Amino acid sequence: MASESTDGSLVTVSRGLLARARLRTLRAVVAAIRPRGHGFDQPIDDDVVAEVAESIRHLPMGLRVWFETGLALVEYGTPLYARRMRRFSSLTPAEGLALLSRWEHGRGLRNALVRGLRFLIFFSFYQHHRVLEALQIDWPGRAATLIRLRAELMHREAESDPASHAH
Amino acid sequence: MPTEHEPASISIAGNGNTPPGDAADPVPPEYGIAYPNVTDGTTLTRDQVFVADAIVVGTGAGGATAAARLRDAGLDVLMLEEGKLHRTETFTTDPGTMIRRLYRDAGTTMILGRPPILFAEGKCVGGSTVINGGMSWRTPERILLHWERVLGLEGLGPKGMEPYFDEAERILHVEPNHEDTFGRNSHLFLEGARRLGWPVEHNPRNMKRCVGLNNCALGCPTGAKQAMHVTEIPRALAHGASLITNARVDRVLFLGTRAVGVRGRLLGEDGRPRCLFQAHAPLVVLAAGARHTPGILKRSWLRGRMIGRGLHTHPNAKVIGIFEQRIDPWVGAHQVFHVHRFLEEGVLIGYAAVPPGILAMGLPGLGEEHAALMSKYNHMLSAATLVEDQSEGRVVLGIDRQPYMLFNLGLRDVETVHRGVALTAELLFAAGAKQVLLPFADLQSIDTIDDIRRIYERPPVAATIELMTVHIMSSTRMAVDPRMGATNASGGVHGIDGLVIADAGALPSSIGVNPQETIMALALRNTDRWIDMMGERRRRGAAVAIGAGQP
Repeated sequence: MASESTDGSLVTVSRGLLARARLRTLRAVVAAIRPRGHGFDQPIDDDVVAEVAESIRHLPMGLRVWFETGLALVEYGTPLYARRMRRFSSLTPAEGLALLSRWEHGRGLRNALVRGLRFLIFFSFYQHHRVLEALQIDWPGRAATLIRLRAELMHREAESDPASHAH
Repeated sequence: MPTEHEPASISIAGNGNTPPGDAADPVPPEYGIAYPNVTDGTTLTRDQVFVADAIVVGTGAGGATAAARLRDAGLDVLMLEEGKLHRTETFTTDPGTMIRRLYRDAGTTMILGRPPILFAEGKCVGGSTVINGGMSWRTPERILLHWERVLGLEGLGPKGMEPYFDEAERILHVEPNHEDTFGRNSHLFLEGARRLGWPVEHNPRNMKRCVGLNNCALGCPTGAKQAMHVTEIPRALAHGASLITNARVDRVLFLGTRAVGVRGRLLGEDGRPRCLFQAHAPLVVLAAGARHTPGILKRSWLRGRMIGRGLHTHPNAKVIGIFEQRIDPWVGAHQVFHVHRFLEEGVLIGYAAVPPGILAMGLPGLGEEHAALMSKYNHMLSAATLVEDQSEGRVVLGIDRQPYMLFNLGLRDVETVHRGVALTAELLFAAGAKQVLLPFADLQSIDTIDDIRRIYERPPVAATIELMTVHIMSSTRMAVDPRMGATNASGGVHGIDGLVIADAGALPSSIGVNPQETIMALALRNTDRWIDMMGERRRRGAAVAIGAGQP
């Protein structure tokens, strides 16, 4: 399903790939652990959620199941791990961050789960075009310039020495 | 190649690709490469049977090299590739898109063990050569001498291998980077090594006039990197070899102890199996990589004790220097220099520019803590130490019949990682770093060169180290004695006629440097032997076994 993203561009939000409940948990996890401050306050959570959902679609089956199960653990594990009788998606981002930080510094499966989630969320966040702009990174622009530059160099070389340039 | 389905040619214009430009608006010459005789497996809707003289499974450094060599010898060659054909002009700088297109499992494969190691490999026509950094190092001489003198693999010494390295470098068009492509990270790396008095190697790389875009790991859109999909594969295809993409091989077919072909599935656009295929040939070359080749052998009910054993992983530990001045690490060529001074200790030091999204995954913290670190991205030099591991792991089949890698980092390797990280940190401080981020859960950063001693003061515990790798090898290693390796001195599977290995799995041991050129040189050497054996068989009837036993 296509939806309007926060910055007006169309992104594919693959709601069908994650159950609605898991998508709600994922959105809460993104709100909790996403970078903030230091120039990273772009309102792009919806785009990040969409990109993470799309990435999960490309994981091997075992990992996909593991992520779904892990998100369920995050959602319903709060009474056990945070002593709150609320689901994770009902916590404030600060409460969610405190819980996931404890898991990050712990061991075992919960640590692995947070590592997996931050892996996908940070990748999607920092590669978002608005974040790249904030970091003053223009990889596509540089690519366009250098593709043309190399084409010209190779073209000139081929004109001066056609024999060495034959493919 | 007589088949039930006539392979279709991929036309440039017909696929919406950019046609070769003219003088006024030139495009890189790699954009105009023709790929005749390619069948897109997703277009085949019924079960298929193919026949050829030789089947090559996998189109990476080993498979493509072997296929082109076999075709040069006049054999009817069929290449089978699980991934898709992605042309140079379709490559972009968007990591999300390119990783999903070119990497197996979207780059999330894990080697299970202490510590778990993230592993990335290509799944596309050209294999990992499409996504590697283009380092073209010859096998170190001490390793070749070990193979020849200690392991008894005749002809694998420096002298015997030299013509094959020469040939591999000719194919790959190996050259160093021009100075105008160096980024500030390259200059800082050089400066750090110079202040310490360490010699620096100017990396030989497989490229034609690299312009320093630094997009090697996502496919080179400038066409400069001379990966297999722009070198040996189109050359083999132009000379009459065939390629079927989206074709996943499940197992080898046998007649007694003779391999007679392979069986597998053609995949749809979604990667799911659609229909079956069989391919028959008297020579089966497996080059699916050091993880999947032993997987195919194990699924084929071959029970050789050494199949899958002896796995080496070349663990990489990331060490990031944060500098006061702006570096803009994304500008400039990828890995122009290495420090090889410590190779004999098992340590190689390099650096690379990593896109922010990928670098971010390895930095500690969440929320604001993480943002504080990432706000310094343009001041970071991302270095790494690559370890020549002594520990050995295994490839095993899971209950889903897929191959899984198991590897525990032994004490000696943990100490080598510590040594490599300490040396890398020393280089970064010498270059002027104000802070160095380490790959240890129990020591995440240090602020002065004196703090490096803290690395050694920690207990040598593998579980606290964060590692990744892009080189796995030796899981079907060559050995004279079948009790020591799955393949013989020609890369033939012990005890099986007509079944040979041409990927990193055949390497007899860990080599400590980037393996692309070693894989190619071994593939060239072994393919010549298989061709000789096939010629001999033709002359003497079927009495000569191809690949099996000792040549």
